[in-house]
Amino acid sequence: MRNIRHHPKPETLAEYAAGRLDEARSVVVSTHLTLCKECSRSVVDFEALGGACLETVEPEAMQAGSLAAFWERAGDQDILVSPSMHGFEAANDFSLSAAQPLGAYLDVDVDRIKWRAVAPGVSQHVLDAEGYRDGVLRLLKIAPGVQLPMHTHKREELTLIIRGAYRDAIGEFRPGDLADLDDDIEHAPTAFGDEDCICLIATSAPLVFKDLIGKIVQPFVGL
Amino acid sequence: MIRGRAVIGAEILIVTSARPNKNVSSGSSEAMSDLLGRVATSGDRAAFGELYDYFAPRVKGYLMRGGSPADLADDLAQETMLKVWRKARLYDPAKAGAATWIFTIARNLRIDAARRAAKPTLDPDDPSLSPEGEQPADERMERADRDKKIKAAFEALPEAQHEVVRLHFIEDAAHSEIAERLGLPLGTVKSRLRLAFTKIRKELGDLDA
Ligand SMILES: [Zn+2]
Repeated sequence: MRNIRHHPKPETLAEYAAGRLDEARSVVVSTHLTLCKECSRSVVDFEALGGACLETVEPEAMQAGSLAAFWERAGDQDILVSPSMHGFEAANDFSLSAAQPLGAYLDVDVDRIKWRAVAPGVSQHVLDAEGYRDGVLRLLKIAPGVQLPMHTHKREELTLIIRGAYRDAIGEFRPGDLADLDDDIEHAPTAFGDEDCICLIATSAPLVFKDLIGKIVQPFVGL
Repeated sequence: MIRGRAVIGAEILIVTSARPNKNVSSGSSEAMSDLLGRVATSGDRAAFGELYDYFAPRVKGYLMRGGSPADLADDLAQETMLKVWRKARLYDPAKAGAATWIFTIARNLRIDAARRAAKPTLDPDDPSLSPEGEQPADERMERADRDKKIKAAFEALPEAQHEVVRLHFIEDAAHSEIAERLGLPLGTVKSRLRLAFTKIRKELGDLDA
């Protein structure tokens, strides 16, 4: 894997580790984590911080006889005692990231997606990731040379490059790079290179296009 | 860890007062990890019982702070501990501490509960957000040590930062609601969080002091 140059902000990783992100943004972050050791390690650090916080929680008494009820529920399933860890992945050697978080949301390969054209050179495919909290997850495909209208974001947007590349005022984004934008950043990404740029985008609120063209395009882009 | 635009090292320290009460010593969490290690190697039910008595009420408290009614929180706390028991043989004391591991299990159950509430027909085995997957960590030996340092750095935070970090990880309220509750502007809550994270990463040697 090439070097990833753009990562989520630490605060975003901390929100992820705390279970605070909506489903759409969690998918984008966890997909990045499968590609980025650096951020995976940060998330485990934040989980350790969560563990320290858990110990400060005011205990709530369990119902009477809870431990006995627990053993009943556990049944006679004694844990398998294994003198050596050999052959096992330690259960506490983890991260939140599944093997293929994005894959779980795609019923077909990226190459077989039925794209819906939303503007010349731009098409999208909305994924069902509205399990909890607000948030929309979509794949956007931008043809090389096409520029999206200038826009800002009412809240946060996370964009992970899956394929191809784009550039905007912040820099160049290539596969694995994650753009973690909030409302004070406005950008107009332009796809470049030989192939379509495919991005996985999570938005927690609708995008706000800034210029007139954007205003015209917006309703029909459906962003 | 940081690249790009996030400039958090440049923040100015605002609070330096010491925190008055620390009622959890680092000793107790090491004791808990040792207990779990005993469960892992010998299936020791008495050791697990001690672990249960310590963590189940805290997990229940955590779930209630996340909005679960007491009955559900009780049930999910038990389920958390059940996962701990069933997977205990895979616990490696050289890796994440007991509290960290239990936190992630409880957090995932909390997320699952929220998803089920939003989408009642959801497949509980849906692999999206809450896998307890394996991590190809390259710093395996280092992990337990990092956990201890993180806990110590957390306990040494100034009270104002300690509190927002706690609320960030425990409460299900949005940062704006937390700000309201503390009578602070949202920006202050966010900057305290960033300061705390920066300080902890300095303690870990990830940033220049
Ligand atoms: Zn990263």
